[in-house]
Amino acid sequence: MQKFFSNRKLVIAIVVLIISIGLMSVSVAIRNKRATPPLIQQFGNDVAGAASRVVAWPVNGLQSATNSVSDLLNTYEENQKLKKQVDQLAQAKVNAQTASAENKQLRKQLKLNESLSDYTAVTANVLTRTPSSWMNQLVISKGATAGIKKNMPVMSQTGLIGRIVEVNQTSSKVELISSTSSSANKFAIEITNKAGKTVNGIVSGYDKSSGTLEMGSVTSNVKLKKGDKVVTSGLGGITPKGLYVGTVASVKQDDYGLASEVEIKPAADLSDLTVVTVAE
Amino acid sequence: MPYARLKLIFPIGLFVALFLDGSLSNVFAGNLFSYPYSSVLHLVLLWLIFAVFLDDRDDLSVGLWALFVGLVYDWYYTGVFGVFMISLPLVVYICRQIKPWLDLNFLTLLMVYIINLTIVEAFTFIWYTMGHVINDNLADFAVYTLGPTIAVNLAIFVILYYPMRRLYLSVN
Repeated sequence: MQKFFSNRKLVIAIVVLIISIGLMSVSVAIRNKRATPPLIQQFGNDVAGAASRVVAWPVNGLQSATNSVSDLLNTYEENQKLKKQVDQLAQAKVNAQTASAENKQLRKQLKLNESLSDYTAVTANVLTRTPSSWMNQLVISKGATAGIKKNMPVMSQTGLIGRIVEVNQTSSKVELISSTSSSANKFAIEITNKAGKTVNGIVSGYDKSSGTLEMGSVTSNVKLKKGDKVVTSGLGGITPKGLYVGTVASVKQDDYGLASEVEIKPAADLSDLTVVTVAE
Repeated sequence: MPYARLKLIFPIGLFVALFLDGSLSNVFAGNLFSYPYSSVLHLVLLWLIFAVFLDDRDDLSVGLWALFVGLVYDWYYTGVFGVFMISLPLVVYICRQIKPWLDLNFLTLLMVYIINLTIVEAFTFIWYTMGHVINDNLADFAVYTLGPTIAVNLAIFVILYYPMRRLYLSVN
């Protein structure tokens, strides 16, 4: 023991400890700032991203191969179901086209050029997921060169999944909505019930045990039911209006009994993400 | 196989392991991170442990590579520096210290790997808690993260032990 904890080793251990804690504090402070990471960090991330792409390619290929086999087995059943849906969809599509054309005309008459619901979509591949039990982060294959900026919302094919937290030149990091870290930015959302009344609020948390999002401190009298649609409200200006988040799972009183809390079932499956869309 | 080739294979394999950690975590996210359990892949650590214990010449500068791969890990995956960058070389140092006293076989290496997984995971947990990156309590960490993590990684260890031993035997 005498030899193991000699003076020199003790000094080295303490110096290493101090360096480590110092590095961590500095990087956490930088991470929480609004700007992109320092240039050197961006460069490192891009190099690592390129290498990561090489490794991710065969792995993702293998995954899509197994997926297509299981898809093939379910084809018949799915085909029956989809045929029914297609008939309804054609009708809905024509309706939507007419409505959006009319909307454009009316906006022109009102001289409203930019509305909250306008955005362009950038599609990106998911390269990796942070192998950690606490950080629900993805690395995607598009960065500043594709026009991505910090805090932009990210969607899968079915709904909202998170937002951009770090932008490099050719890759960026996405923090999932299931992230419970205190530094996570919250989305402004609105719920519309069957009668057409809306309730505004903010995503205040994520319940891991039920896999639902929480919208707390709701004092509105509007009655919400299970299945009511939840979309982003566009308030705050960063997130466009009308991105699909999910449906209401339940409404209950909060812990103090003063306001109610809405639980929202996210539309996207957060554990099966290969391609995502960033809304600019 | 000449030893010089191993000196090339070791760092390449280390970085393949690093990126496989993330890539496989994404592909198997549904299985690895199903509530309440979350298991973290540690292929990098596995590769380092094999290099320390199976290589008889001790001439691979595993410690330095551990420092470098830890830096890239923090850099690319989390953005919080000084966590894996310190814990991976620490584990390599500890392994080097206990290696002369161990009668090396499958079971002892398995035990050493369990201890090292615990050290790395606990180190990460303590550091993130100190940096206010996460707020989780110790009991939840032990039951829902550490347990499944050890289980999954031991399974990978069992699969990879014999192929890796043959690789190192062919060198020495």
